Amino acid sequence: MDDLDPVIHAQARLRITSTLAALDADSSMSFPRLQELLDMTAGNLSTHLRKLEDAQYVTVEKTHHGRTPVTYLALSKTGRRAFEDYMETLRAMLGPHA
Amino acid sequence: MTNHTPAASADDAPADIREMLRLSQQQNEKMTRVFDRPTTIIVLTWGVAWFVGFLTLWSATEGNPWFRTPIVPAGIVFTVLMVAGIIVSAVVGSRTSRGMRGAVAFQGTVYGISWAIACMAVPFFGGALLANGMSPELAALFYPAGYSLVVGILYLAGAALWNDKPMLGVGIWIIIVGIGAPFFGAPTNYLVMGLLGGGAFLVYGVWLVLRQRRRVARYSRTDARAAVN
Repeated sequence: MDDLDPVIHAQARLRITSTLAALDADSSMSFPRLQELLDMTAGNLSTHLRKLEDAQYVTVEKTHHGRTPVTYLALSKTGRRAFEDYMETLRAMLGPHA
Repeated sequence: MTNHTPAASADDAPADIREMLRLSQQQNEKMTRVFDRPTTIIVLTWGVAWFVGFLTLWSATEGNPWFRTPIVPAGIVFTVLMVAGIIVSAVVGSRTSRGMRGAVAFQGTVYGISWAIACMAVPFFGGALLANGMSPELAALFYPAGYSLVVGILYLAGAALWNDKPMLGVGIWIIIVGIGAPFFGAPTNYLVMGLLGGGAFLVYGVWLVLRQRRRVARYSRTDARAAVN
């Protein structure tokens, strides 16, 4: 049996990747909107995003809206593949118990 | 917001794999709601606006055998309802993709702007026809049909953008009602628009709400079943 990807296999990071996976491949979401959709604290979300970024699963783009800095996040191609593999493995592991 | 958010200390750790699947489905469902809710709001808004608006106009004519609403307030009610419908469509459409960039945001913004442009085009065109001798009797047939065409086509565009089959059905229905109504002549065309147009929006809106409820109920007990798939 395959092992579950430890980068995604944490409650917060699975929820983050599940949210970003719902966007198109070329779309991204701002940090505040992501935070709102996940109902996580900014500090907690940053911590987990850093781990996902380190694994190159999430791309981070810092830009400006007028004078306000905004950070946009997206699932990278690697990240999307890792998320799909994770979900497939998860379902396969649950299969025999159902 | 949900009560299911794990505590900060716990969410770095994995949960039971069944719980993990549920967490992912729950978040996926939340995203589906984010993209679906605007359609429901827009459809229900137009349902109320057309149903009340056109029936009020119809009641201002000799068409309504039961009671008569004064013509000027009826016209004001109708205008206010139509403008409210346009504003709600544009605002809700653009708020959906709030904080998002890329194709999803572009589609949402263009769609919102399309509503505003298309709905403003009808009264301008009508104004030009009036200035060139269109009679008030003809105008009574032109405006509802013009709006129906525009709204119907916007629904067809929405169906193509979001791969939304029920929206396709509504678009076709609105065009059929809008183009069919003038054949009944004024003021019966108002009655047709209110009942068959507004009524159809309301039925579709309620169906969307019920479908949403069913889906929420389903995903909360999917863990076992999803594992089978």
